[in-house]
Amino acid sequence: MSEDLQIRTDRMRYTKNKVSARLALLAIVFNVVFFISLYKSNVGTYYYNVLMGASIVYNLVFMLAAFLGSESVKNYRRGYSWLLVALGVGQLIRIFIYPMNAHQAVVSGAPVMGDGQFLLSVICLVGSALCLFAAAAVNLQKSRALARHIASLETGKA
Amino acid sequence: MAELSLQHIDKIYDNNVQAVFDFNLDVKDGELIVLVGPSGCGKSTTLRMVAGLEDISRGKLLLDGRDITQVPAKDRDMAMVFQNYALYAHMTIYENMAFSLTLRKENPNVIHKKVLAAAEILDLTAQLNKKPAQLSGGQRQRVAMGRSIVRNPKVFLFDEPLSNLDAKLRGATRREILLLHKRLQATMLYVTHDQTEALTLADRIVCMSMGHVQQVGTPLELYDDPANIFVASFIGLPPMNLFDVALSGEELIGDGFRLTLPPEQLDLLRDYRNRKLVLGVRPEDVTEGGTMSLRVSNCENLGMNTLVHGKLGEHHITAKFRGWSEYGDGENVPVSFSRMHFFDKETTNAIRKGGD
Repeated sequence: MSEDLQIRTDRMRYTKNKVSARLALLAIVFNVVFFISLYKSNVGTYYYNVLMGASIVYNLVFMLAAFLGSESVKNYRRGYSWLLVALGVGQLIRIFIYPMNAHQAVVSGAPVMGDGQFLLSVICLVGSALCLFAAAAVNLQKSRALARHIASLETGKA
Repeated sequence: MAELSLQHIDKIYDNNVQAVFDFNLDVKDGELIVLVGPSGCGKSTTLRMVAGLEDISRGKLLLDGRDITQVPAKDRDMAMVFQNYALYAHMTIYENMAFSLTLRKENPNVIHKKVLAAAEILDLTAQLNKKPAQLSGGQRQRVAMGRSIVRNPKVFLFDEPLSNLDAKLRGATRREILLLHKRLQATMLYVTHDQTEALTLADRIVCMSMGHVQQVGTPLELYDDPANIFVASFIGLPPMNLFDVALSGEELIGDGFRLTLPPEQLDLLRDYRNRKLVLGVRPEDVTEGGTMSLRVSNCENLGMNTLVHGKLGEHHITAKFRGWSEYGDGENVPVSFSRMHFFDKETTNAIRKGGD
């Protein structure tokens, strides 16, 4: 390992994983934009069902979990990468529930969700998922490197 | 290399109060100068002027021969350690120490090396991931010093850095500062009102009172040969005993005691036959046995020394005897003076050979 890389790895002992943490926070921002754009719809009673209730609850759970993940990956906690991955997968699945269904539904001869809103919703959910995957990947890579470095320090190799 | 020169520096505030009068000092490279004096004597003001935190009203400040009187604080290449540490509570120790370099957008790897090196010097490596609230006062002060060290400044400025620490920690941190100075060989200006710090740390001491420099010299010079009554009474613990006396024939006459002077001291005082004199005797120069009588009022046993307070004639006096002594109240102890200092009562200056 070059000295530069070694110092960069050693720095992680004292610095936070800000990249992963910020990516996870950005995922929350994407999610907020998504549900704001979804909830502003006014198309009769299409959304008045138990699925919308579940969607609201999921949004809350998602934001709490993503924030928890953000704070944890900030401290290179490897296990939380998998939480972020799971949340990312969840965001992709959501595309096939609300935006997709609402985009295909028609009420009183008009589509519940227009093309523009549909595109925005998909972009937000995909963006959110990509941020979570990236945060998880960066954290996995960094936390492994850090663990190896600490192990080598403990065995006196470094 | 960092030589500092303060030339005829005055500080006059907007309300016309003058805090510092004609301050002159040349600080050599690697020297540790301690500014000492009572509260309000202008020592911190002087330090802040050097740091660039206060404007210099008159005079010049030179760093390595370059006039930096008007240079802003951030461009002076000096680092200051404050009494209250001034650490960021939300940052870790590592982040606190790296902060100034991060602001300068230095290479993070270089910052890392510098922070680790400073932490090693200050024995803070194990604390780097902690927050300031998790550290003791002494450790926090070391962090503040570390933050200065990483910048590798030309001059270190310390503004009463140990005042917030308890007595035991103060002693330990004082020794660390001394070791730090030996290790870094950096030019340092250190402000304190504690004469113990001044005597133990300084290469040279600047003793100040009421905005005026009273004496500049090595700790030994200030202790052994004080320039005036202020320095004599300020340096030394307990302070020097001072008696108003008059010279009559070969005797020094105080209020209730007489002392025959040897020829060399009579020669020193030959111009003071009809002038007012002050005799100064350090408590440790009052020795048991002699022709004078000390009437004991109380004793303080300190283990290896005993402070005996009492009266010599009508003068209050404190004597510092070696070992554990027990005297009853009102007991008369014969004493003599092993060393005496003489001061002109009017000018308060020390009377020295050749009038220098």
